[in-house]
Amino acid sequence: MRAKKGHSSGMRKPWRLACLLSVCLLALASTLSEAHAQISVRGGNPTLSITTGFPGSEPIPVVNVATSLRYRRQAQIAKITVTTSCPGQSFTLKVLATNIDQGVAAPEVTLFQGMLDTDVITNIPSAGFVWTNATLQYTASATFADGNSAELGNDVHTVTYTLQVQ
Amino acid sequence: MAYTRSLCGRPVLAATLLVASMGVVQRAAAQVYGSDSHTVTVTVATINVIQVSAGSVSLTITGAGVVAGQDQMSVVDQSTSLLWGTNSSNRKITVSTNLVGALFTLRLVALNPTQGTAMPEVVLSTVANDLLVNVGRTSGSCMLRYTGVALASQGTGTDSHTVTFTISN
Repeated sequence: MRAKKGHSSGMRKPWRLACLLSVCLLALASTLSEAHAQISVRGGNPTLSITTGFPGSEPIPVVNVATSLRYRRQAQIAKITVTTSCPGQSFTLKVLATNIDQGVAAPEVTLFQGMLDTDVITNIPSAGFVWTNATLQYTASATFADGNSAELGNDVHTVTYTLQVQ
Repeated sequence: MAYTRSLCGRPVLAATLLVASMGVVQRAAAQVYGSDSHTVTVTVATINVIQVSAGSVSLTITGAGVVAGQDQMSVVDQSTSLLWGTNSSNRKITVSTNLVGALFTLRLVALNPTQGTAMPEVVLSTVANDLLVNVGRTSGSCMLRYTGVALASQGTGTDSHTVTFTISN
């Protein structure tokens, strides 16, 4: 009797275990899928080209507003941070979020190799899970002393935006 | 039996719950909803720009102040300046004139350059002469001092120069 009881209990546990593992896997997949979908950069990979300058002054900065962020409101007040990876950086690149539907633009952020995550949009309202957009305004600048791409190569930034709780 | 026990027993169940709870805790602690990246490229062209601050310079030798018995007469103008910007290394600024067979001598020297090194005064000719050296990757300015020189024996006349400044290697 005791052996039967033990055997019967042992049959039930694998099912419970399988169910638990399935739930965990589903939760993990859901989390990963959700993380991917909550924010996206649109408009491709822009190139900013500085081509002219003033004698006695400096090269003329170039502005690009061809890309944007699309992000979703969350259950908590959220913010978007930015960071970049650009080994061997020579020139200056800044970003400012404009035309923001939800949230508040942080001051213009200078992007540089080794920087910490820095706020670019804050106070994104919670709830509603509404999709919203912001224009990314990139400004590239250089001094004459910074040199040129023919001698130093281009600056190629991998710019990462992260949507997170504030 | 041993395999069944370890699979269905408490240690495995506890470990699974621990992993699951760690995931939940981690998600709650990081509070990251998602991220995305793109590539932004900055290119800077080779830029060499140069500009003379003012318009024409006129040097007139009138004979005023000329010492009797002295053949050489000269006049000086220091009213113009030169501005430049270059983002290339190892650059210099040269100067030349378009006038072939000038009657009189026109000399030029750069004064007080904010960047680079001024060369000694040059006599303008159709061949480019160095005015400033070591101006690579700078934005700067200097004053231009022109000196017109005539000998009494050269008589009278007018030379009209178009003076060209060039940033070069």
